[in-house]
Amino acid sequence: MDSSLRQIANELLNTGKVNAIIGYIPVDGTTRTKPFIATKTDEVDKFVVNHNILNNLSVYLTKDEVKKNFKKIGIIAKGCDIKSIIALIQENQILRDDIVIIGVKCSGVYSDFDLQTLADKCISCEVREPHLFDYLVEMGDSSELRGEDRKLKVIRQIEAMNAEERWDFFENEFSRCIKCYACRQVCPLCYCERCIVDKTIPRWIESSAHKRGNFAWNLVRAFHLSGRCVGCGECERVCPMDIPLSLLNRKMMMVTQEEFNYKSGMDINVPTLIGSYDLKDNEEFIE
Amino acid sequence: MEEKFISQVKLQELCNELIDNNFDIFIPKEYGYQKLVKGENVTLDNSLKPTKSSFKDIIFPKAEPIIYYKKNKSDIEIIDPQINKKTNIILGAKPCDAKSVAIMSKVFNWDYKDEFFNIRAENTLIFGILCNFNDEFCFCTSVGLSPKSTEGSDLFLVPLNDGYGVRIISPKGEDFYQKYNSYFTTVDNKLIEEIESNVKEPDIVFDSEKVRNWIKENFEDSYWNTLGEYCLGCGQCAFVCPVCHCFDIVDEDYCYTEGRRMKNWDACQFEIFTLHASGHNPRDDQSKRYRQRISHKFKYYPEKFNEILCTGCGRCSRGCPVSIDIKKIVTEIGSFSEV
Repeated sequence: MDSSLRQIANELLNTGKVNAIIGYIPVDGTTRTKPFIATKTDEVDKFVVNHNILNNLSVYLTKDEVKKNFKKIGIIAKGCDIKSIIALIQENQILRDDIVIIGVKCSGVYSDFDLQTLADKCISCEVREPHLFDYLVEMGDSSELRGEDRKLKVIRQIEAMNAEERWDFFENEFSRCIKCYACRQVCPLCYCERCIVDKTIPRWIESSAHKRGNFAWNLVRAFHLSGRCVGCGECERVCPMDIPLSLLNRKMMMVTQEEFNYKSGMDINVPTLIGSYDLKDNEEFIE
Repeated sequence: MEEKFISQVKLQELCNELIDNNFDIFIPKEYGYQKLVKGENVTLDNSLKPTKSSFKDIIFPKAEPIIYYKKNKSDIEIIDPQINKKTNIILGAKPCDAKSVAIMSKVFNWDYKDEFFNIRAENTLIFGILCNFNDEFCFCTSVGLSPKSTEGSDLFLVPLNDGYGVRIISPKGEDFYQKYNSYFTTVDNKLIEEIESNVKEPDIVFDSEKVRNWIKENFEDSYWNTLGEYCLGCGQCAFVCPVCHCFDIVDEDYCYTEGRRMKNWDACQFEIFTLHASGHNPRDDQSKRYRQRISHKFKYYPEKFNEILCTGCGRCSRGCPVSIDIKKIVTEIGSFSEV
């Protein structure tokens, strides 16, 4: 419950184990929450965990203004967020010893602040009981949220399409893209110091938000996250144009799991898919 | 006194004729203002929240070619693009959108007259509409507008039973009315005024002069750091904003000998926005970039052009991935100088 969360946070700051704790606080006068970085013990009283803790706060762990300022950081994280923390550790972006994880036993979060439906990622979630943590807290409201897997249905529909139909489907979706890069900035695993779309000498990816540029950007991102994306769904949640980005990412997750039996963000001691090689690796599906 | 009136049926007929006459009509839909197809129902619901993005892309597209070039040994041939000179009609823009063209026009006609912007702005007719939406993110009244403000509109619609009261605002609007007056009748102005007076306005939450003064005196204040910690540096806020107008110029080569030069939306929250060729970046952390965003809107632009670079539509805050709320920030800044 929130009180034990606050106790833990208080102790962590008091003993100097961490210099800051990243968590969620309510937005005044609403049921929504927003990220909050507490550095003083009197600030931890605001922390909450409930079905509205939508953000994946692990994106802050590699953000200069946070990482360099605070070094030892506590973080409140749901199982899906912990997956991306593990992926960041697997990829040597953060040290396990620098992070104190306050895991949340999660009974699901909403898909968006206005919509009171369960987020798609929660439906087949296997880490409602966090798989890596230093402390564990329960959600204020532990009633299980329910929903149906709408995304998987769409993926199956797209799989049944021919190449031309698939192209048309994504062309239509990407046509709304305005290249705001909210998908990239909110993604914990999009931590490249200089993203390929920002490189100009030479320019590999057109920065224009036209058909070619939008295809190039969204496909490059999907490729770059293959075998890495943990499916936290933040990119799709924040897209101002509601482009269903998780369709691509989730399909890539399904492929990497089927072909390499690999799931990102499950174990800090397992080498990354891209960073490892096995003679028995399946390569027949690559055309 | 009497005002003009157009019934829903006549508005529908007018739209059909305008489309036949080669006008492009744009009406608010979920993601932005979209082109009306002939025969499509013209529904203007002024109680809906602002569209996800404003109509600025109609005047200032997210990506547009400004020159085409061909390279031939030592010669370079420059070809000007054809700017679409069709007349655009924006039908049902809330006051926080309608004002945007007039605000951006100041910078696009400052030291250089941007013909791409100007030709489109000139060929665009704006039907504003009385706004009947007000959520926690709205603050038009704090930046000098209101749900019934007609600034920036050529004609202004006030929803009545079965139609709209129509106020003619600009000479452009008057010309349009004269041309199509057969579609209009009249209505008692009192009916319009009654609707207008019943609209609930957002409370005024800050004094823009106090905000400006605080920013002026507190360039190095630690307040900016607290904002920089949270902002993730995407361009959502700038791109959905009706008045953010920064752009980037990039060349796109189709092949070794041909290409085009593009003018693309850009955003001051991007890390590379101010990156110099030398590698130096004067805004090298997010707090400096966030300070720029607020300062440009509430200090630099008002000082230079006598306009706040914000219409209070609240889009940036509704869509912010980490719930940064510009209304709260500027309200807070406004209160600092009172202490």
